Amino acid sequence: MAGHCETFEHTADVGLQGRADSLGELFEAMGEGLAEVICPRRSVKKQKTLKIRTESENVEALLVDFLGDLLGLFNLEKFLVAGVKVERIDETSVAAEVTGEPYDPARHELADEIKAVTYHQLKVAREGDEWTGRVILDV
Amino acid sequence: MGKATDIRIEQIDEYRWRIPKDSRPGMRVDGIIYADEKLMAHIRGEQAADQVANVATLPGIVGASLAMPDIHWGYGFCIGGVAATDIAAGGVVSPGGVGYDINCGVRLLRSDLTVEQVRPQMKALIDQLFRDIPCGVGVGGPFKFSDTELRRICLGGAKYLAETGLADEDDLAATEAGGALDGADPDAVSPVAYRRGRDQCGTLGAGNHFVEVQAVEEIFDAQAAEAMELAEGKVCVMIHSGSRGFGYQVCDDAIKSLRKVPEKFGITLPDRQLICAPVESPEGKRYLGAMRSAANYAWANRQLLARLTRKALSHHFKTPVESLGLRQVYDVAHNIAKIETHDVGGRPRKLCVHRKGATRAFGPGHDELPQRYRAVGQPVLIPGDMGTASYVLVGTAGAMKQTFGSTCHGAGRVMSRKAAIRAAAGRRIDAELAAAGIFARARGRSGLDEEQPDAYKDIHNVVDVVVAAGLARKVARLKPMGVIKG
Repeated sequence: MAGHCETFEHTADVGLQGRADSLGELFEAMGEGLAEVICPRRSVKKQKTLKIRTESENVEALLVDFLGDLLGLFNLEKFLVAGVKVERIDETSVAAEVTGEPYDPARHELADEIKAVTYHQLKVAREGDEWTGRVILDV
Repeated sequence: MGKATDIRIEQIDEYRWRIPKDSRPGMRVDGIIYADEKLMAHIRGEQAADQVANVATLPGIVGASLAMPDIHWGYGFCIGGVAATDIAAGGVVSPGGVGYDINCGVRLLRSDLTVEQVRPQMKALIDQLFRDIPCGVGVGGPFKFSDTELRRICLGGAKYLAETGLADEDDLAATEAGGALDGADPDAVSPVAYRRGRDQCGTLGAGNHFVEVQAVEEIFDAQAAEAMELAEGKVCVMIHSGSRGFGYQVCDDAIKSLRKVPEKFGITLPDRQLICAPVESPEGKRYLGAMRSAANYAWANRQLLARLTRKALSHHFKTPVESLGLRQVYDVAHNIAKIETHDVGGRPRKLCVHRKGATRAFGPGHDELPQRYRAVGQPVLIPGDMGTASYVLVGTAGAMKQTFGSTCHGAGRVMSRKAAIRAAAGRRIDAELAAAGIFARARGRSGLDEEQPDAYKDIHNVVDVVVAAGLARKVARLKPMGVIKG
């Protein structure tokens, strides 16, 4: 099974929950889930590849920081993400290749303004053979 | 909408509900929710009440963990929450108790324009505002500030803009804290925040932020309305925005840097998003210094938005700004932490008052109020949804006694954004609003769908509760005529 991520309902904000066979696939799925909330990925071309590396004190903080770094690509570089490929991951660090293109107002319709990735009801867990993750975005 | 709460809630009277402090381990005070039966039915259906209980565990909290009738499920703190901590008793400050949009707030401009004059031109006027006011996700504006200028904005907020001719004294006098909090520390703000803030001061943003043209529909309190120069049949403009990416980054940085602080001070938290530090600790002081910088940025932002609004109206009506009578009624914050002195158990205590989705509502006679409002109380601006109404209230002695001088901040969401988009499927929200005589324009794909009137609680109901509970008095009801959203 490849990773899977979907949004769930929260009164004021948007939640992301994902599941995958491995931690790397979970981070890929949730990274792409976040990208989808910023701008539908079908409209984003895989034109350019960037490398990101995130370190944190535990696997849950790592997910928040990793998604925060992906959000930063839009907020700071106006870069939209189409795909996320994890190259290396353990519970305190992740290195990933991110493909996408610069935001072009003429072609890209942005969805929600995401203020931040929060720690509220944050979860990253291994249940049997499956990894699951849950995070709430402030919009 | 999440799962329903199973926490114990007892009714105190028609408008007050208690979560007793023995309901959950670690609660230091009771939780009190202001609501009537109808609003309570919704509150019970989500997890906001659990969040009120979680906030009651914060070190140094006094009185009660309070929730206004517009309460809804947030992250960490609920939206519509008020929590005051006693600084001398080790009271904490929590970035989650302020939120990411630091000093998100509302500004109201009154005018000499009449509804009859404006109504026939509404569509063109909204188009003019939409052209002149930058809005939408991550959109920059015409004002660019260097890092040196941004540091001055951090320290001086709207007051700094007065030095550069972009604000005047009358606006500052009608702004909470005079448009700038003392004690800002620009060195506590990260380079990333400065980078994000460079071109966003003077921009509306997205989500629920708006500029709305409103008609004064009904006056309830003649004396207070006179002090605010509000009269039935006249037109007002309401502005709702905050500290933009600058503030979001300040909050995000603070939550990251405070991660290990609760452990250091032996604080156990039921939710990591409630991360906090004692107000008097170096970490707490640093956050407050950064938060005040962002709060001041937000006051400068709303000042510039007011300037763009006045210019747009002047351009549209081909009349000098001075002839339109666009005087500022007031500007209030509804996401902020402030150091204030309140009576606790009969003694004045220096408190850190968190208002997250709650508005300061100081009663008559308070020395922080400008002269023209000293006798009537502080103006409180309560935006409703874009199809119904907004209210102007004033603070009361009752709010000073019960809620550290606080009241509600809006209607409060009742529908998730996803549910709102689903409910709008196959509909044209702009056409529905136009049929009701309200012209709406939004930049984003789903802006109007997410913000449709049905996504919010009934504003009349929310306001009636705070008035009946003695937390505010009604001054005027404003009816939307046209709105621009991000």
